[in-house]
Amino acid sequence: MTDTAREEILARISEALGRRGGGEYVSSSPRTAVPGTGGTAHAESGGVASANTAATAADAGYHHEGTYTGEALVELLIDRLVDYRANVHRADGDPSATISELIGDHSSVVVPRGLDSSWLAGYSGGVRVDAPGEFLSVDELDAQGAVVTASAVAIAQTGTIVLDGSDECGRRAITLVPDHHVCIVRTDDIVDIVPEGISRLDAHAPLTFISGPSATSDIELSRVEGVHGPRTLDVIILNG
Amino acid sequence: MTFLGMPLLPSKRRGDLPGGQGNIIEAEAFPEVSHEHLSNQQLRNNIGHATSTIRSKRAEVVSELDDWEALRDAGEATKNEVMANLPEYLAQFEEAFTAAGGIIHWARDADEANAIVAELVEDNAPVLETGRREVIKVKSMATQEIGLNEHLEAEGIDAFETDLAELIVQLGEDKPSHILVPAIHRNRDEIREIFMDKMPDAGELTNEPAVLAEAARRHLRHKFLTTKVAISGANFGIAETGTLGVVESEGNGRMCLTLPETLITVMGIEKLLPRFADLEVFLQLLPRSSTGERMNPYTSFWTGRSDGDGPQNVHLVLLDNGRTRALADEHGRTALNCIRCSACMNVCPVYERTGGHAYGSTYPGPIGAILSPLLTGVEEQGNGSLPYASSLCGACYDVCPVKINIPEILVHLRGEDVKANHSPVSSQLDAALTGASWMMGDGKRMAAAEKGLPLAHKVTGGEQINALPGIAGAWTSSRDIPALPEKSFRQLWAEEEANDRDEEGQR
Repeated sequence: MTDTAREEILARISEALGRRGGGEYVSSSPRTAVPGTGGTAHAESGGVASANTAATAADAGYHHEGTYTGEALVELLIDRLVDYRANVHRADGDPSATISELIGDHSSVVVPRGLDSSWLAGYSGGVRVDAPGEFLSVDELDAQGAVVTASAVAIAQTGTIVLDGSDECGRRAITLVPDHHVCIVRTDDIVDIVPEGISRLDAHAPLTFISGPSATSDIELSRVEGVHGPRTLDVIILNG
Repeated sequence: MTFLGMPLLPSKRRGDLPGGQGNIIEAEAFPEVSHEHLSNQQLRNNIGHATSTIRSKRAEVVSELDDWEALRDAGEATKNEVMANLPEYLAQFEEAFTAAGGIIHWARDADEANAIVAELVEDNAPVLETGRREVIKVKSMATQEIGLNEHLEAEGIDAFETDLAELIVQLGEDKPSHILVPAIHRNRDEIREIFMDKMPDAGELTNEPAVLAEAARRHLRHKFLTTKVAISGANFGIAETGTLGVVESEGNGRMCLTLPETLITVMGIEKLLPRFADLEVFLQLLPRSSTGERMNPYTSFWTGRSDGDGPQNVHLVLLDNGRTRALADEHGRTALNCIRCSACMNVCPVYERTGGHAYGSTYPGPIGAILSPLLTGVEEQGNGSLPYASSLCGACYDVCPVKINIPEILVHLRGEDVKANHSPVSSQLDAALTGASWMMGDGKRMAAAEKGLPLAHKVTGGEQINALPGIAGAWTSSRDIPALPEKSFRQLWAEEEANDRDEEGQR
C-alpha cells in the first residue's frame, strides 16, 4: 500500500513543480540565490547531490563566528545560563569538591561510563554507572537523586549546553529521568554563537540541546521552571 | 520593502491535485464563525494579553541579533531550495533515515496516515487491563491536522497529550486556539477547574501556575515511565543525514522521544532541510520568533535508531494531505516554507480579536488563512472565506522568519475564491469591467463618454449619490458617491489651454 503511496506522492510533487512533460519549474522568487549551488534552484533532477554537500550559506550575510573570547565568553555563557534559571558554579582543574557539595544530599546518583571517576571522589553516596550491558532501567533511573555528566558543546549567546551521547554525556534517558542534573562544561568547549556550536556536532549522534531547566509558559504565559525534565540544573564551568 | 495587495498574474493550475482532509476546514464562512468569538470578552482579554506579551518578548530577542535580516534571507532561500528540489531531498532523506535503522511510510492523505499509525500502535502497544491500548504524544501540528487522536480513540487506542497546554485542551474536551500556546484562551481559574474535575489523583489545587504545572507532572510521570509507544511530530528533517528534530520546552518531548520502545513520527513532506548545517540558521530563527527566547529549553535530534539509546523501533510517516496541491500553486507555494513559529498570529490584529477557533482549522491566524485553503482548495466549505480574515496590514510578513509574503498570497487566494465560488457576481462585475476597459482604453471613447457628464450632473441635481442599482448597489450600501461635476477634466484642461493661448497671444 505504502509503495504505491510513495510513487503517487512523488509523481504529484513532480506535477506540482511542473516537471512533467518537459515543463521547467522556475522558482517563484527568482531573486533567491540558493546557497552553495551558485544560482537559483532549478528542479531538474540530479542536482541535489552537489547542492547539499556544499557548506551551507557560506556566502550568506549572517555571522558564522562570534566576537567573544576568553573570560568574556565565559561570562556571557554564565549570564545567559543564569537568565534561564540554571545554577552556575566554577571550578579550576578538579570539580570534585563542587560536585560533592551539589549532590551531597542524594543517597545515590547515576553517571555515564566515560565520566572521570575522580570527579566523584568527594561523594560518599552510591554511584551507579550506566554502561552497555548494565544500563539502568527507567525505574532505577527514577530512583536516582541526580545525574552527573560532562557536555559536548556550550553556546554562550543562547545559554545552551549540548549533550551528544558520548561516553561522557551518556544515554539520553540518564539526563532526563533524575530530577537533578549536574553538568560539567569545559571552557574549551564554549563557543559564542549557534553556527559555531552546530559545526562542532555530529548529526548522527543522538543530540540534546539544553537551555536552562525544563519550563512552561502555558498557563497565562507565566513561566514555571521544572515540568517534566530535571527541575534543577547545576552547571559547573571547568577551567582547562 | 513590503508591497501589499499587488495584483498577481493568474495562477496556472497544474492538474487538479487532491486536497487535504481533516482538521483544516472552516465549516462556515469566517465572518459568521468569528462573530460568536468576538463577543466573548474573557477570550479576547486572554488572547490580547498573550499576544502582546509574546510580541514584545520576540521583539526584544530579535533586536539582540544584528544579522537577523540576513538570517531571514538564508531561511527563505533554504526553504525555497527544498521546495524546488523536493523529490530529490525526500529520496535522500529516505535513504539516510532507512540506513540508520528507521522505517518510512508514505501517506497520501489524513485517512491513510491515521490507518498507518493505528496499525503500528496495534503491533507495538500492549492491550491493557481496560481492554484498550495507550500511547503518549508530544505536541504535533501534523497529527492534529489529520485528527489522529480521534481516529485512534475509535480504534481502541487512548492517546495522551503530554504538553501542558495540550493536556489542558484535551482534558477540557476543547480545541487548541494558538499553535504555540494552545490553551491561551483559558485562564488559571478555568485550568484549575478542569484539572480538579478530570485528574482523579490531583487532590486540592490552587490556581497558582506552579501548582497546576506540578499537578500535570505527577499526572503524566507514570505514563512517561511505562508507556511503550510514543507519537511525535517533527520540526525538521535533515535530508543529508536522515535526522529528525523536535523543539520543545517542558521535557515531555524528551520523555516521548527517549523512553518508549517504539517511536512513530508524523511529518509533512515539506519539513525537510537540505543539510544538518542549515540548523545554524533555523535554530536561531525558530525560538526567537516562536516563544521569544534565545533558545527553547530542550531540542532533541535523532537519526533512526541509536544502539541502547532511545526507542529501538523507529517509524516515520511522511504526509502529503494537500501539500502537493499547495505546491502546485506557484503564487501560494511559499506558504509551505512555514516553520510553525506562530509569530504571525501574535502580530495579527484580526487574530488578536477573534482568537484561533474562529479559523476552524488546526492552522489559525494569517498563516492559517492561506495554508488551509491552499491545502484543501478554496472550494472546500468555508475555506474560501479565510483569505478575507485580514486587513492586509502586512505585520505578518514583517515578522515571518522565512519571509512568507502572506499579504500577497491572501490577495491571490481572494482572487481564486472569487473565480471558484462567486461566479454570478464576478460575471456581472466582469461585464462592467470589460465595458470600462473598452471605454477607458481609448482617449476618444473616454472623451465621448465624458461629454455625458454635464447631462448626468443635471439628472442627479448636483447632489451626491446614495444608492446605485444592480451590483453597484453593494458599493453604495456603505459608501456615498460625491456629486458629479458639471465639466470633465478634459473639458477643464481644454479651456485652461485655450486661456493660456489667449494670454500668450496678448503678450
